Amino acid sequence: MIWRFVVRRVLIAILQLVGISLVVFFLIRLLPADPVARLVGFNATQVAYDQAEAALGLNKSVIQQLGDYLGIMSTAKYDGIAQGYLGDSWVTGSPISEEIGRFLPVTLELITYSLLIAFLIAVPVGITSAMRPDGVGAKITFFWGLFAGSQPEFWWGLMFVFFFFTWWWEQFGFFLAPAPLGRINPMLIEPAVITGFILVDSILSLNFEAFVDAAWHLMLPVFTLVFIVSGPIIKMIRQNMVRVLRSDFILYARSCGLPSRSVSLYALRAAMAPAMTLIGIFYGFLLGGAVPIEVIFALGGLGEYSIRSILSFDYPAIQGTVLIIAMVSLLVYLTIDILHAFLDPRITF
Amino acid sequence: MAIDEMTAPAGDTGSARPIMKVENLSVVFPRPDASDITAVHDFSLSVTEGEFIGIMGEPGCGKSTAAMAMLGLVRPPGRIATGTVEFLGQDLGKLDEEELRAIRGKDIGMIVQNPRHSLHPMIRVGTQISNVYRAHNDVSKQEAWEHSIEMLRMVGINDPERRVKAYAHELSSGMAQRVLIAIALSSQPKLLIADEPTSGLDVTIQAQFLDEMWDNVQKTRSSVVLVTQDLGIVANYCDRVVIMHQGTIVEVAEVHDFFNSPQHEYSKAILGLQRRAQEKGVAIAKVDEKAPPLLRIEDLTMHFPIRASKSKVHAAEQVSFEIKPGECLGLVGESGSGKTTVGRCLLRLEEPTSGSINFHDVDLASVSREEFRKNRANMQIVFQDPLDSLNPRWTIKQVLEEPLKLHSDMDQEQRLDRIRELLKLVGLEESFVQALPKEISAGRQQRVSIARAIASNPDFIVLDEPTSALTPETTAEIIELLIDLSNKLGIAYLFISHDLTTVKFICHRVVVMYLGQIVEIGTKDQVFETPRHPYAKALLSAHLFPDVANRRVDREVRESLQGEIPSPITENLPKGCYLFGRCPSQVEKCRNMPQELTELEDGRLVRCWRVQEGELTD
Repeated sequence: MIWRFVVRRVLIAILQLVGISLVVFFLIRLLPADPVARLVGFNATQVAYDQAEAALGLNKSVIQQLGDYLGIMSTAKYDGIAQGYLGDSWVTGSPISEEIGRFLPVTLELITYSLLIAFLIAVPVGITSAMRPDGVGAKITFFWGLFAGSQPEFWWGLMFVFFFFTWWWEQFGFFLAPAPLGRINPMLIEPAVITGFILVDSILSLNFEAFVDAAWHLMLPVFTLVFIVSGPIIKMIRQNMVRVLRSDFILYARSCGLPSRSVSLYALRAAMAPAMTLIGIFYGFLLGGAVPIEVIFALGGLGEYSIRSILSFDYPAIQGTVLIIAMVSLLVYLTIDILHAFLDPRITF
Repeated sequence: MAIDEMTAPAGDTGSARPIMKVENLSVVFPRPDASDITAVHDFSLSVTEGEFIGIMGEPGCGKSTAAMAMLGLVRPPGRIATGTVEFLGQDLGKLDEEELRAIRGKDIGMIVQNPRHSLHPMIRVGTQISNVYRAHNDVSKQEAWEHSIEMLRMVGINDPERRVKAYAHELSSGMAQRVLIAIALSSQPKLLIADEPTSGLDVTIQAQFLDEMWDNVQKTRSSVVLVTQDLGIVANYCDRVVIMHQGTIVEVAEVHDFFNSPQHEYSKAILGLQRRAQEKGVAIAKVDEKAPPLLRIEDLTMHFPIRASKSKVHAAEQVSFEIKPGECLGLVGESGSGKTTVGRCLLRLEEPTSGSINFHDVDLASVSREEFRKNRANMQIVFQDPLDSLNPRWTIKQVLEEPLKLHSDMDQEQRLDRIRELLKLVGLEESFVQALPKEISAGRQQRVSIARAIASNPDFIVLDEPTSALTPETTAEIIELLIDLSNKLGIAYLFISHDLTTVKFICHRVVVMYLGQIVEIGTKDQVFETPRHPYAKALLSAHLFPDVANRRVDREVRESLQGEIPSPITENLPKGCYLFGRCPSQVEKCRNMPQELTELEDGRLVRCWRVQEGELTD
């Protein structure tokens, strides 16, 4: 049953991806931009310009370009998507998949840790503030949600850098947080790339010095993201919890004399599912939306990569990035749906 | 411990000792930016051993809240403001949370209304039963699981090994109710608090449950506090009745005293129809037996196809009956019997699969839609839910004006006059014309629906459960209004209802349906006094008339049916008699012998060969 659902969803996802690649392909080409001039410079000769245009394949008709890109009825020497190849970057010349493979794990690592920690904080805080609506926890939550959500994330990022790095050092003479310059101290040997997740890689390669330093570098960006996304997640869990606590089945469970621990578990189980959906939505959003954080802390993530590609009219890179982000989002949604189904027997496929 | 003189049960043997004593209990719900609402005010009650107490009152009167508060529980954000609850000599207010918990569900069992929402939607029912059992008994998971299967078997659930793994949404509400009963009885409580335990159940199943509860009380000398809105339940099962009105107890009385001489004004209002019928007899006009029928339906059949399946829902099978001018024909049966479908087919709200509907000598089933519409002014319908059947954005004036615009050529002035006249006919003041439906009470909404139905001067109205969503006192008023209108205007009714009490007051003749078939047609007296078909007998016996002179619990034999009504899809339908498998009078021949509706010597029609052959007598 569940497998039929997964297969169906994957098939639909493939259709969606095809649709997305087509839309992106045509939309880019509608831009009033000249990537060739960008590449060879405005003062290049006509011959050099033509050569460059031919090298990029931009002298062909749009339909032919689409064929080259998709790898179907291709007239180019290189492979297309159908062969599993995203093309080469026009700027660096290296394969897009290789570049994304380098940038994507950085973003995934940042948002996975952030959402995981946000979730771990939000569950107990949301529950306590629902159970004691007049308690201190509920009030703090309220102001937190209001405060954190009312400022843009880059501003919070800058504030944290200023406070924990600059101000702290001036005040106390040591660094609470490292300088916002990348994922690891450049003086250290970076762990070999295995998964791309630097914390995981440093453990796998038994480089504990790198592990500690990488964790230290990740501290502030993760903290900033957690600070911002926790508000809405707490609010979601709190509201669900309040609703569930007033429900018939909780009142009934209490009237049956179930221990309060069991009653809380009953409530938590029912309140959890919608919160997970929110996590999924955040995940998809942050794949491209964590750019300000990535830039401030110079992490070199996918968001940064996509901005760079857009600004340099690197068509294959833009297409590849969009496709990959869409793929990861669809995968996350699918995972959430499957988890949902395991939690809630009312969902059938 | 002294027994409260006023609330002690009359004529008890003296061995009775109080189980629970509630004093001055008040529950308040805080409102933001407003004063608190006191949902229950100064509630006092003492319950003695072996007693069956009913708490009655209109929706929102605080009866359910009071029942929960007896356990020390209030739905958030409410709280118990004052009062003490003493249970077996212990003051529950002085116990800590853990001691209270140990009493709840063990010594005091709880059954709540809305059983499917009261079970956790994501946890198997077996696990939920086990969890409660383990909360009060020191047993292993495995033992508790086996105990749950045992309990499900005990409350009459078929195939408990499979049902124990089910989730709440996979159960019918009848089954979910049984699960709650299993949970409540699993630790053999001394006091059972049941909050509308049978709302939403069919009468035959309701009778099965209440009988079991009553027998249990007699056997184990436990006590029951039953919260209900149903006079029939109170009259048939309770020893004492507590009447609540706007959060306060207005009357506590022994059940016979309550029905024979209610003291409080509100109690009298609840008993309205009952009392007025007793005092002067509700006057329904005689029907001219010789008049040609106004409406004659023949072999009306309605099958609904099921998507992606060859089988069909057999909602109505070859239904035939007549209605004379000015006659009120009752159409009764449990849910799923097809009575609503028949009503809807008459107005072609559903297109019947086959059959004819003769009205004023026109076959409505076969005429074109255009032709049919011309006849619509003469036949109208009133639905069950008064609020849902009125456009929420229209004022009462707009609601009543619409049929006048459609079916007459009155000018604006004439229409306004007619609207005033209509409001007066249904007993509403003129000032309501500008009100919106949600601004008036349910009883008044239903009056507006009735006014809309009679606006075009019809001579026939289908009343589809017109009183089922109303409180007992409003029901009484609406029934009286309908009788008045019929007498004044000579309108014929098809009165569809599962509430036999109201049918008994208003109808001349009664049709009993089961699984889409008519099983008996006769005059009101024939069907109500001496029903002949086994299903009609069981239905009448299971229906709880608010009549303390003939309590179900006092009867020697309580007729009842086995199991539940099957859903009427092709493969579920029995080959022979549709009642086979549930009928107390069945013989082997019934299994494969389809039954015909045949006239008996006293003029009624019955679909049972054993009755026709004279094998079944009273």
